[in-house]
Amino acid sequence: MALPRQLRALPSWTIPLVLAVLLVAAPWLGISSGTRRLLLLTCILALLSSGLNLSFGYTGELALGQAAMYATGAYLTGYLAMHWVNDLALLVLVAAAAALVVGLVSGVPGLRLGGWSLAMTSFFLVLLVPQFLDLLEHYTGGAVGMVGIPRPRLFGAELSSLDMYVVVALITVCWFAVMRNLITSRHGVAFQVLRESPILASSLGISVYRMKLTAYAIGAIPAGIAGALFAYVDKYLAPHSFGFTLAVTVLAASILGGAKSIYGPFVGAAVMQYGPLRSTEFEQYTQVVYGVFLILAGTLVANGLAGLANRAVARLAARWRPTSDAVVAGEAAPVGPAPDGPALPPLTGARLEVTDVRKRFGGLQALGGVTLTAVPGQITALIGPNGSGKTTLLNVICGYYRIDSGSIHLGDAEITGRSTHDVARAGVARTFQTPLFPEHITVREAVAAGAYSPRHVGMPAAILRLPHYRRAAAADRAEVDDVLRLVGAARLADVEAASLPLGTRRLLEVARALVARPKVLLLDEVASGLDEDEIERLAELIRAIRAAGTTVILVEHNFRLVLDQADAIHVLAQGELIASGTPNEIENHPRVLSEYLGVRQEVRP
Amino acid sequence: MSSPATVESPLLEVRGLASGYGDIRAVWDASLQVRAGEITVLLGRNGAGKTTTLRAVAGLNRADAGSVVLRGRDITGVPPHQRVRAGIGLVQEGKRIFRRRTIEENLLLGGYTRGLNKRKLLVELDPIYEMFPTLAQRRHVASGQLSGGQQQMLAIGQALMAQPSLLMLDEPSGGLAPSVVAEVMATVAALKATGIGILLVEQAVAAALEVADRVTVLDVGRVILDRPAADVAGSDALADAYFGRLR
Amino acid sequence: MTPIWSGLSIGAVYALIAIGYNVVFIAYTTFNFAHAQLMMFAIFVTYWGLVVAQLPVLLIFAIAAVGVGLIALLEEFVAIRPVKGAHAHLVTTLGMATLLDGTTRLIWGDQVLKVPAVGSDATFTLLGGRISAPEVVLVVSVVAIAVAMIVYSRRSLTGLALLAMAEDRDAALLRGINVKRLALGAFVFTGVLAGLTGPLVGPKTFAVSTLAAALALKGFVALAIGGFGSLPGALLGGFLVGLVESLTGRWLGSQLPTIMVFVVLLLILMLKPTGLFGTTRERMV
Repeated sequence: MALPRQLRALPSWTIPLVLAVLLVAAPWLGISSGTRRLLLLTCILALLSSGLNLSFGYTGELALGQAAMYATGAYLTGYLAMHWVNDLALLVLVAAAAALVVGLVSGVPGLRLGGWSLAMTSFFLVLLVPQFLDLLEHYTGGAVGMVGIPRPRLFGAELSSLDMYVVVALITVCWFAVMRNLITSRHGVAFQVLRESPILASSLGISVYRMKLTAYAIGAIPAGIAGALFAYVDKYLAPHSFGFTLAVTVLAASILGGAKSIYGPFVGAAVMQYGPLRSTEFEQYTQVVYGVFLILAGTLVANGLAGLANRAVARLAARWRPTSDAVVAGEAAPVGPAPDGPALPPLTGARLEVTDVRKRFGGLQALGGVTLTAVPGQITALIGPNGSGKTTLLNVICGYYRIDSGSIHLGDAEITGRSTHDVARAGVARTFQTPLFPEHITVREAVAAGAYSPRHVGMPAAILRLPHYRRAAAADRAEVDDVLRLVGAARLADVEAASLPLGTRRLLEVARALVARPKVLLLDEVASGLDEDEIERLAELIRAIRAAGTTVILVEHNFRLVLDQADAIHVLAQGELIASGTPNEIENHPRVLSEYLGVRQEVRP
Repeated sequence: MSSPATVESPLLEVRGLASGYGDIRAVWDASLQVRAGEITVLLGRNGAGKTTTLRAVAGLNRADAGSVVLRGRDITGVPPHQRVRAGIGLVQEGKRIFRRRTIEENLLLGGYTRGLNKRKLLVELDPIYEMFPTLAQRRHVASGQLSGGQQQMLAIGQALMAQPSLLMLDEPSGGLAPSVVAEVMATVAALKATGIGILLVEQAVAAALEVADRVTVLDVGRVILDRPAADVAGSDALADAYFGRLR
Repeated sequence: MTPIWSGLSIGAVYALIAIGYNVVFIAYTTFNFAHAQLMMFAIFVTYWGLVVAQLPVLLIFAIAAVGVGLIALLEEFVAIRPVKGAHAHLVTTLGMATLLDGTTRLIWGDQVLKVPAVGSDATFTLLGGRISAPEVVLVVSVVAIAVAMIVYSRRSLTGLALLAMAEDRDAALLRGINVKRLALGAFVFTGVLAGLTGPLVGPKTFAVSTLAAALALKGFVALAIGGFGSLPGALLGGFLVGLVESLTGRWLGSQLPTIMVFVVLLLILMLKPTGLFGTTRERMV
């Protein structure tokens, strides 16, 4: 009982660190030279797969270009080592930079059209490798291959093969540390938000295209490094080492280990090197086995060996843990603002002005010249029958749709025609009709995602864990904890957000929006699907937000909630405003009764 | 256990239905019935679960609980395309026709289940064109270019091509001008006279009540009122239901 | 003129691949990585039928059509049906592609095999350029197939149902269309089509186990040029890719054609990502 408890209390990097030390020290632990070479190749394949994980596993873009970046790094290193300067440290940097350039050049067009295009352009890139090698035969040796790569030197000293092993192992360990720091930082959460819902990502101020390109480009770096190392390890390069089979091997190692895991690729690579890649009879069956494997992995296995391991650990942990402190999502008691919870910090609202906005979809008029203003410290409600244009108006404000004419101002700034992530960065936060939470993300991480772009911290700072990253992370944590206490979900902080009941997720969406400290908060049918108690708690929270000073816009079906909470109500019908006024005025407005409710005057005495 | 349909038994009977989207439950406990040659009007505020009820009867949304019985036959687990063959037609809200296809193509698609070849099916379009003459004039026009009223007529005509015994209409007057609403309601009344049963979801309550035989009101996914139309007209019950004063 | 004829005939092959991609795209809104492998398999079956087993031509067509149709059926059941979403399908259909590549290699090896023409293989001069009879048959058949498919999709009830399903799946279900079966039918059809056209394509491309990868890429470029979901676009895109390749090879040297096609792909993606016949759709929340 005690041991597992103590193990769980250790920091999450303890076990990987122990394994890393073992990996580097392996030659002194009595392994054979054959095993040493296998470990070396495992490291190189692991670097490749780890890079793929960044774009494929974490941001959801299948990219096969790793092999091309690997080839770039390898050939460049080989050529430069022979003809320019033989220094491993320098050439590793050059190879990484060159791979980054290849990643950017192939990623830009591929990502413009979304997933298939990147898959195909990167696949194309891989098949072009032999052609390019042939074209540059003078430098690469063409089909014959590149021979005569010297032994590696580092800062003037020649490296023995044992030294080389240690260097490769250390570089691999360093890269995995980089991955670990990146993925466990807010950027890792941002990647996963992107993968699950680009719409949510952009509403949090994340530029979908730039973020995907970043992931793909960063993923190129380890491939380039792996190439440089491979050139020095084998000292002979031939086109067949960099073809489509390699691309599929990398993908297989990634899927096998777990595409959405930090250390999985190393395990996947080890299995590949110790198993199929070692046997020579295997070669002719390679493709058949890989093919079957990809189909099975794609259909049956969720997140590879890492996924299986996580589930096993979770099951064991559940058995060891006394049931009293188990927080099971389904059993969670109702959540809601705690009466004695902290008050919201004051927020600065901004006036939102929508002026004569028109929008048509094909022949259909969705908005026919809507003008309205929402002011700070007030709840402005938008009601109307289905298809009256409420959600369209919301999407227009957020920048999901381009308007045909009219203008939208936030404070003094015009936000008409700006992209969604720009509008979000200007201070507009929103919730969704169906709450959006990526899987496998804790409540704390999900809510903290609201702070991602308002209080941006660069990736280098996150990877190196610089003091200013640590400060920002600590401040975020404090603020998220406050907001969670405010919505009464503090004890759920470490539960997976997507697994919580609908009512809780709606409150968490509001919490996420609050963490962004928005000037304008758009609530899209935030009460739908909630029961009476949940609606009451929600109403309380909305009132608190109004009191804090934000401009709140409430799009809502629940007429009672609107009448009770709103300061001003605008009624839309067929894309036009038919009435505006206080709740009292709207409740007795004849046109609202006839158009919106369809109830004629005489029906209601 | 299905029993043969008798004159008294309703055409459609929904009992204790629960349904929704993913884990968002929109209908908790809905029961209603429609008789042949009658119109049941299903009312309720926005978000009350009316559309979900219709979708569950059509088979587009899974029934988490309860049953859907058509002419004595339990069709709760039957896939949607087979329910069309069984006689259920749904005209979705928002005039969901195939906008890139012409009027004629849309109507032909409506008759997909009839098992006729295209030439014979083209002849079958005549009664629809007779009912909606404006459609006949523009039969080769892409239907996305039609006016809202014409699109609604097309959507109804398309559903009728399958010769349904139960026609469900989801807010057929939504987004239409008042004069067109009257035209749509006249069409609905005329269809009732042909003997098919109609389940009508409407926000234009007064217009719907004029044609209704039975009124069912949903609120937060539960039936709060289910009476013959004659008992409802002129009472406060409806307005109260709409403004949430029952609770 | 010779490079133009040659470009058009290889372009016809790319157009066929792009048409296959498109039918699956219309039916499933997804991408079948393995379509080019189906075509390659048909070419190898043709080689086997003509050279090894020496079967009558009609029988070869029948075997290829049924065999490849069955492979497509199998693919739908193991790689398409069990998973949802275009990204998941990329992995499973890539798996299917790799599996078919490997199987082809196991059966027929790595050699480049010459596939004889099913009819005459005479070469003659047309408008000042040399073209062979199989090439003429190939180009004419592909244009005829594309036109027939375009007409069928607009005129027949089944074609209409397919287009309706692509436009609005729920609405199609409500018209009584069995969308699952129809989509499966479309998928198997792409296999049968690959089987039927394999014997026509074989003499042009030869049978080699690396063929599918090359065809897949150029077919994809043809698709990107023409626009996802557009059959006329696929036809035009295929011919364009073939011409670019052939003319580059003629004027700029033999190492450049594939690189040039890649440049064309990058240009299309940068300048007109929806393709020539594609449509932009507004994003929805």
